[in-house]
Amino acid sequence: MSYLDLIHLDKSYDGTIAVRDFSLQVEQGEFVSLLGPSGCGKTTTLRMIAGFETPDNGSIILAGQEITSIPSNQRGMGMVFQSYALFPNMTAWNNIAFGLRVDRVPASEIRIRVNELLDLVGLSNEGHKFANELSGGQQQRVALARALAIEPRVLLLDEPLSALDAVVRVSLRNEIRRIQTALGITTIYVTHDQEEALSISDRVVVMRRAEIEQEGTPEEIYVQPQTHFVATFVGTMNQFSGILKDGQQGLVVSSHGDLELSIPPIPVGSIQAGELITIMVRPEEIHVSKVDEEVGEENFLTAVLKSISLLGPVTRLELDFQGQLIIADIRTVDRHRFILGKPVQLSFSRDACRYMPGVDYSGDDSANDGLKEVEGIKKP
Amino acid sequence: MNKRRFIPGIFIGGFLFYMLLPIVATYLFSIATRWDRTILPEGLTLEWYKTAFVDRWFLIVFKNSLVISFSTVIASIAIIVPTAYWVHLRVPKARPILDFISTLPFAIPGVVLSLGLIRLYARPPLMLARTPAMLVAAYVIFTMPFMYRPVVNSLKAVNIKVLTEAAQSLGSSWLRTLGQVILPNIMPGIISGGLLVFATIFGEFTIATFLVGARFKTFPMQLVYYTRRDGRIASAYSVISFTIAWVSSLFILWVATGWAKRSSSGGGLSRKEISSKVMGDGR
Repeated sequence: MSYLDLIHLDKSYDGTIAVRDFSLQVEQGEFVSLLGPSGCGKTTTLRMIAGFETPDNGSIILAGQEITSIPSNQRGMGMVFQSYALFPNMTAWNNIAFGLRVDRVPASEIRIRVNELLDLVGLSNEGHKFANELSGGQQQRVALARALAIEPRVLLLDEPLSALDAVVRVSLRNEIRRIQTALGITTIYVTHDQEEALSISDRVVVMRRAEIEQEGTPEEIYVQPQTHFVATFVGTMNQFSGILKDGQQGLVVSSHGDLELSIPPIPVGSIQAGELITIMVRPEEIHVSKVDEEVGEENFLTAVLKSISLLGPVTRLELDFQGQLIIADIRTVDRHRFILGKPVQLSFSRDACRYMPGVDYSGDDSANDGLKEVEGIKKP
Repeated sequence: MNKRRFIPGIFIGGFLFYMLLPIVATYLFSIATRWDRTILPEGLTLEWYKTAFVDRWFLIVFKNSLVISFSTVIASIAIIVPTAYWVHLRVPKARPILDFISTLPFAIPGVVLSLGLIRLYARPPLMLARTPAMLVAAYVIFTMPFMYRPVVNSLKAVNIKVLTEAAQSLGSSWLRTLGQVILPNIMPGIISGGLLVFATIFGEFTIATFLVGARFKTFPMQLVYYTRRDGRIASAYSVISFTIAWVSSLFILWVATGWAKRSSSGGGLSRKEISSKVMGDGR
């Protein structure tokens, strides 16, 4: 049995299903992220673990003990909230000491422990300050220290970085991971930011519409998405719909004109020849070259360059291929090789192609910011 | 003075004149030897204060009113604050009901409330009619809007749900959360409500007369008694009443802000901050 067992949890509010048949096993010391768009049930799941919500069905087992109906103040879960939730009437020091005082820890011990925690989160000199005298990042560090002070059985973080600016977000998420690893605390982390989830988790659970869509290591989620939704929600994905011509040879006829795509061979029985299939390629796996250049990859097509966005070390190109938007990432140093409005050659290998049966009807919650409609180009 | 300053000046000046004139007149009347035949008082004297203070009833009614006012403030806080907190936290659907109930005292005249309460509580087993305890109970109802509104405004201003959950996750019980986390953060509302309740009760006459009458004389009853005998002594009583209400209000403010600071272990809002919030809190 694992350390934390969530078994068939259901929760609905006034007939609206928030979480449906949610089961998850978390090992001791593991860092698991619940990732999904807003309203997917990830926060409700976290709140059921914390004891703030009672599941309609199912049970929660922690270290072999059923805790489903135990009140939140007896569960020993440390919680960090999106809004920090520091007690405004107390200093940072007293915020951290609060849980220890509740626990009747001797004053001398509290002093040592709070100072250690302030040190751990890098705020040794800020203990005397009130919440409104600290920056957002500092407040969240105090909130983290406060949750850690009670030596929680599980640390729960509910979108802790959403309210912070980009730079602080990255440094604090690394710090959360560092502290979590150092202390070996079992952690459940809720976020809608896929980059955040992929970068700090041991395991990611992608949720959509109250259910688990896929769970796996960050690499599994990114490299081998199992559903259309995961493929488009986690990272950016170009999609080509088509009809399978030959599964064993891995040949697909794209619905766009005469394009034929080579994909890895499809195991017998999964998708039949003549059936609809979706091919997916990550932007970074598309090789962009000038039209007259020789390419080595199996798949290639010509598209018109519509926009160039500098993202830092990588530059994102938006291209129009017969009315379909294609996104390709190139090294920023190469960006001057291509001219807006001119055709370029795109190529990608057979192994870069993932495939799924059918066509993506996942609806509007795919939340793929990269594949929005631009300049009259339709979303693939 | 240009026009842009002149017009607001007229309004502000007019408002201050309208508000302050009765108070200034009362103060003047209380120290006038006579002021019914001339535009200005004929002379000044402290005679009426002396008469008021040497009256054997003065200390009794003063003490009675103080006891009743403080008791009402405490009872009101004890009943309304936990209720408002719980409803806001756990039963948000009941908020409109509570909001409605809190406005009822405005709609029911004091006389009606008193007569209704006497009829209800005059029989066994309660037999509370015409006791000071009943007066306090009636005052809690009568002043409910004054306590409820500022408290609710304060509850809305702090995210009590998240603060409560944060405290719970740290092992805190409901009572500890209320006492150490919620109360210090809604203190401006409680103080504001306390001051309004205190000031209202200290000068309340109708309900006190109907409910307890001469059995338990309060300060306003004595004041009314003197209005029938000598308006100048009544004015002296009014001035004393104003002053007591002011001093008591400052005392409540001082005690409560000190408590708020202590309960948060040497931190939280400063007295000055709480004072400014209280003064700015919704009536």
